[in-house]
Amino acid sequence: MKGAELKHGDLEGLLKGLLEKGVVDCLIVPHRAGKSVSYMLVKDPDKIESSTSAIFAPSFSVNAANLVKGWTIKEKVGIVAKPCEIRAAVELIKLKQLDNESVLLITTDCSGAYTNQVYREHYAEIGDQADSAKIKELEDKGITIREACAICENRLADVGDIIIARGAGEDLVVAGLTEKGEGALTALELSLEDKDLERAAEKEKIAAEAKAKLASLPELNSLDALEEFLQDCIVCKNCRDVCPVCYCKECFFDQPLGDPVGGDLLNLAELRGAIGLPTGQLFYHLTRVYHVSTTCVACGACEDACPKDIPLTRFYPVITQKVQEIFKYEPGKDVDEPLPFTAYEEEELEECLR
Amino acid sequence: MGEEAKEEFEPKIVGFTCNWCTYAAADLAGTSRKKYPPNSRIIRLMCSARLDPMFVLKALLNGADGVFFSGCHPGECHYIKGNFYARRRIAAIRTILKQFGLDDRFKSYWISASEGEKFANTMKSLTEEVKELGPNPMRGKII
Repeated sequence: MKGAELKHGDLEGLLKGLLEKGVVDCLIVPHRAGKSVSYMLVKDPDKIESSTSAIFAPSFSVNAANLVKGWTIKEKVGIVAKPCEIRAAVELIKLKQLDNESVLLITTDCSGAYTNQVYREHYAEIGDQADSAKIKELEDKGITIREACAICENRLADVGDIIIARGAGEDLVVAGLTEKGEGALTALELSLEDKDLERAAEKEKIAAEAKAKLASLPELNSLDALEEFLQDCIVCKNCRDVCPVCYCKECFFDQPLGDPVGGDLLNLAELRGAIGLPTGQLFYHLTRVYHVSTTCVACGACEDACPKDIPLTRFYPVITQKVQEIFKYEPGKDVDEPLPFTAYEEEELEECLR
Repeated sequence: MGEEAKEEFEPKIVGFTCNWCTYAAADLAGTSRKKYPPNSRIIRLMCSARLDPMFVLKALLNGADGVFFSGCHPGECHYIKGNFYARRRIAAIRTILKQFGLDDRFKSYWISASEGEKFANTMKSLTEEVKELGPNPMRGKII
């Protein structure tokens, strides 16, 4: 891995350089409006300024990968985002919803993020960025990060083309993980040297904390529990719309079979004696969890988007992780690794036949 | 409940079989006059790979007491590799069903076109197993 040491103040120049030198045609970067942070698509280097205080902001608005879903044009877009978002982008490349040649994936370190609402409300305490010590301190005051972030084991930037790793104080390490990434940094005329980020211990500590948090969450392990869990679902399918890896052009649940009305509802009621309304809560979520079972990056966007505050993080990432385990697959880790459902081995998984 | 309500529970089982192997095996079982319980309703698919796990979910959620899938033995698929893909999907959906205690009601087999007897025996053991499990709890739920 080749990289360079920078300071926080150099970030603005780095991003401007990417645009000015023509490494990318445009950039998707975090953008701050007062206490709120979302994204912007930038063409003009001068507009980068407002992003520097937002790049490490511990706030989750949308999954940036969802913004470039279907970006199959030639113009190259650079995306500066958190690890879960870049992982989702990698999955989209594998799903052919994003062209690997037209993206430059830049991953920033994350210590966990707050929902937009919490971030806005407690901006005075949280500030422009927060490290894990500060997040712990705030947790004692009752200001907690998103549940998806609390159970996330992949907070350190280790995927994509370029990583921006945070060191102590103002220090940053920018490094290329792929040829494309190193090429981009070279074009910026940074003096690159061999970098070896020693972060195994830190990663282990994060993973241990995340596992402990996951174990402390109530487990959905029976039909009754699932029925109760989804009882409030209004099947608005917002969780699908914000999901970066849910990508069908036409969703089954927007078609008559998946979204029955009128006489179809009556037929169902005749079959079952009575049906719950809105209909298909269990069918919708169980089908969706199967559809994203190998590609879910556990970003928690579904939970944020749920208008009924159903803690979907206890459902989607928890179950998909179990499916990913049987295929020994980690979504977003390696762009060249085939998706489990597009590959097979001649002898495997015989235990699934019962 | 009266005495007549205690009569033996007859499960409803939905089966998905591939056209080239298990459906032919079912045919063979019939032409060879092998007897097997009539609880299964077979739906023919052109290939194992046509089994969308959504079918399994829909059947179970709508109250089928059992669901089975059966296709050509791995390596003998009429379309070369359809059952390899199907096997991965089945493994995934089984993991999801297991989380909610529904995996016992979903069975999968490989039965080739010449195994008429195996098909009949499988249907017998399957029906017994599902009877043992009793009615699908989804039947009583309003979902």
